[in-house]
Amino acid sequence: MNMNPILQKDIKTKLRGWRSVVLICSYVLLLTLILLVYFIGNNMVAPYSRQSFNPRMAINGYNILITFQFALLYLAVPAITATSISSERERQTLDLMLVTKTPAREIIIGKIMVSLAHILLLLIASMPVIGIVFFFGGINFLDLIKLIFFYVLTSLFVASSGVFFSTIFKRNIVSIIVTYIFLGLVTFGPFLVFLAYALIREQSGLSTAPTYKNLVAYLFPSPVFGFTSFYFGGSNMYSMVSSYYGYGMLSSIAGEIENLLAAETGFWKHMKPWIVNGTFSVLFSTLLVFLSSIALNPIRRKK
Amino acid sequence: MMVHVDNLTKRFNGTLAVDRLNMEIPEGEIYGFVGANGAGKTTTMRIIAGLLAPTSGKVYIDGIDVSKEPLEVKRHIGYMPDFFGVYNDLKVSEYMSFYAGLYGISKQKCMGLIDSLLELVRLTNKKEAYVDTLSRGMKQRLCLARSLIHDPQFLILDEPASGLDPRARVEMKEILRELRSLGKTVLISSHILHELSELCTSIGIIEAGKLVASGSVQDITLKMSHSNQLKIRVSEKEEEAVKILMEMPGIGSISSVSGIIDVNMEGGEEAYVRVLKTLVEKDIPVVSFHPVEGSLESVFMQLTKGETQ
Repeated sequence: MNMNPILQKDIKTKLRGWRSVVLICSYVLLLTLILLVYFIGNNMVAPYSRQSFNPRMAINGYNILITFQFALLYLAVPAITATSISSERERQTLDLMLVTKTPAREIIIGKIMVSLAHILLLLIASMPVIGIVFFFGGINFLDLIKLIFFYVLTSLFVASSGVFFSTIFKRNIVSIIVTYIFLGLVTFGPFLVFLAYALIREQSGLSTAPTYKNLVAYLFPSPVFGFTSFYFGGSNMYSMVSSYYGYGMLSSIAGEIENLLAAETGFWKHMKPWIVNGTFSVLFSTLLVFLSSIALNPIRRKK
Repeated sequence: MMVHVDNLTKRFNGTLAVDRLNMEIPEGEIYGFVGANGAGKTTTMRIIAGLLAPTSGKVYIDGIDVSKEPLEVKRHIGYMPDFFGVYNDLKVSEYMSFYAGLYGISKQKCMGLIDSLLELVRLTNKKEAYVDTLSRGMKQRLCLARSLIHDPQFLILDEPASGLDPRARVEMKEILRELRSLGKTVLISSHILHELSELCTSIGIIEAGKLVASGSVQDITLKMSHSNQLKIRVSEKEEEAVKILMEMPGIGSISSVSGIIDVNMEGGEEAYVRVLKTLVEKDIPVVSFHPVEGSLESVFMQLTKGETQ
């Protein structure tokens, strides 16, 4: 099977020379530094762990790392994809691509695959750093595999959003801005809507707490909702650690979601936030690829 | 018929860019598309290439409807736009491989193909050079090679020689002649009308989105010439020759300088024969005798009023 020529070209040009090597090294070094600073800092403030690492701290270090990676994914993928089509248009190479017998759909998929390849490369390169926490236990390899899978699904969602807006808007800058606004709305909007819903419920005098299904109905599009599955690793130990250290908003949201999930029975008990959001990501990405293909198809374009 | 354009119309926000244009290009023809800036050349070419949807009308390439089977049509078309970009971070061979990939050409087949195309466009020695190191003329030739990667039978070349220096123009013209000898059908637009008249087997003149003339270069220039022009050179008896010519019927204006007599006259080939016969019978030493063809520039100026949409 032939590799998608767009992906092939991109890999060839991006990985040539020293720039990508420096980028990957810097990224891994940054992750290592974050972990190192965290460990050193905690050793200094926690008197009982001066002689050795506290395993629970290692788990929190893991939480910090994966949150950093998640944020980076959210910032980096749109930067790659939100200009993928518009930059071809600005460079006047888009027509040369569209005049070939490669369908618009394959061009779109090629552009998405380029960003997924970049993210996978960074994720794989960061494995040795994340793997440090395996020395201290608490996280199993399956959790990590699931996390990477979730990252890929989220990248797919973010990338297809970027490519879609890049297809719609002619100018790079407009496409980038709209993509970030859209992602911001999809990520945090559902939480705000859910908050409003919860306040209205409270003011209406409804004493019953919302169920996990209520939560899913509102939060399913937000990748942060899906990510909460990994923030705690799905284990009670994580919850304990998180509560103990009083980790900000994310930990309390994650804790609440976990409690509501635990109260569910039957089908919904298995529908963890990452599965719900991951499914949404795949379906929504498929829709965006379809819409982007229509928008890019020259015969259907008006201009 | 390689290209059949039927009643093609294109509107952009109410502005008529192409107005009920009909055009036919037989196989093996080099068709020059002439028109002022904004006349609708590029829009028409983009619609034919399947890069733009028409407002109404149909385009058929080798009998295939462009709007119904765009991917099938693209196998038959090679397109070179007037303005295009290149990927500067690619080498010439990689650039060609990339487009070969987009056309679904296998890697094994691709390498030999790239070599022969680079040879055709005289870029063999630049195969491993980065695209950004190429001159403008070389980039144009590379783009032409790219448009030939899938061996299309029909080429659309929008101003292929624009912005090139005289040497690069000559080189481009030679390559186009080679393409003609390979039997390709070519639709080419250019502002350099005498170049088109040298290269093309037929031309179409477009103004304000309408095709105002179409046919062979000779037919159009002949049709548009109000009178025929003769250029006669005599070694002596110049004044006597002028006198004889002035007495002949159908002769218009005559001017003569240093043995060269320019005659404007009515009638076709028979009238030419009559003039030559008369001069020879009257013992005028005729060194050369030939009709002057009307130039494409003058035809273009006559047919167009400088209107654009």
